[in-house]
Amino acid sequence: MSGLLQTGLTLLASAEESHGEGGHHGTSFIGLFVYLGLTLLVLFVLLQSAKMGFKDRVFTRKTTSWFEQVYLFVEGMCVNIIGPHGRKYTPFIITFWLVIFVSNAVGLFMASTPTADLGFNLGMALISIGYVQWEGIGTNGVFGHFKHFAGPKLGLAMIPITLMIFVIEIISEAIKNVSLSLRLFGNIEGGHLAVEAMNKLGEPFYIPIGFFLLPIKVLTVVVQALIFTLLTCVYISLVTHHEEEHHDEHALEPTHA
Amino acid sequence: MNMTGQGLGIGIGLAALGVGLGLGLIGYSALQGMARQPEAIGKLQTVMLIALAFVELVFLLTVFIVPGSMGAFNR
Repeated sequence: MSGLLQTGLTLLASAEESHGEGGHHGTSFIGLFVYLGLTLLVLFVLLQSAKMGFKDRVFTRKTTSWFEQVYLFVEGMCVNIIGPHGRKYTPFIITFWLVIFVSNAVGLFMASTPTADLGFNLGMALISIGYVQWEGIGTNGVFGHFKHFAGPKLGLAMIPITLMIFVIEIISEAIKNVSLSLRLFGNIEGGHLAVEAMNKLGEPFYIPIGFFLLPIKVLTVVVQALIFTLLTCVYISLVTHHEEEHHDEHALEPTHA
Repeated sequence: MNMTGQGLGIGIGLAALGVGLGLGLIGYSALQGMARQPEAIGKLQTVMLIALAFVELVFLLTVFIVPGSMGAFNR
């Protein structure tokens, strides 16, 4: 089993490596930090501009009302998916949303972007899933959190099956990191590659055909930022929603009967 | 282009076919649900996006894992 996992990881690493040296798509280590710095610069300028609007009684600055709308949207998403106790996760989720959205938007104008790098995405996914484990342990306790992996109670005779479910759940928890990061990387980098290929198609006529993909890329920018945060919300809700459910059931029983 | 390249082309095309069908089915049923129950659009959109993400991942895994396992990235 460890051999299989190792093979998968080396394949991922070699894919990333050959991607980097195969052309001018991938970013070098320094290049990643240049683009990351650019992203953070854009983000901080926008946020500072929004923060300066706080001093007035009414929001006179456009950016303040934009960010208010973004905040309300993300807060609504958290409360809808995680439940009433989901409001405290809003700062965590909105940080991911802003970083991914702004760096994707930078990728519309630049040759590369932090989210078109597998390493950066894997880092974000590790933070996200690690926080999910932390919250699960904080809510259910260490034993309760790991009992959650073992599936439903099946009795003494079914211990081998419970063990198998436990192992599979642990693996799927580890795969969540890969899936989160690979989805973002594939979408952003795939968009870049598609534009390159279509530009090559129109080269004899001096028409940049890839330009017509811009609407789809703009859609991808929003949807990928949304999906990463949405899935983080879903994972958080999976590990923290148990006690609330029992309360709800007790509260709802008299009305049903 | 050698045999590996041809196989890759066919395989990735097949993967794109399957994922395209899956995405179309998700969009079809989500649109139908939204048209029948416009007040549930918010919830339906959320679930639709999650399903889209999971289907999309299958294609990305194909694109990145299969060429690697066939040795296309080895120089």
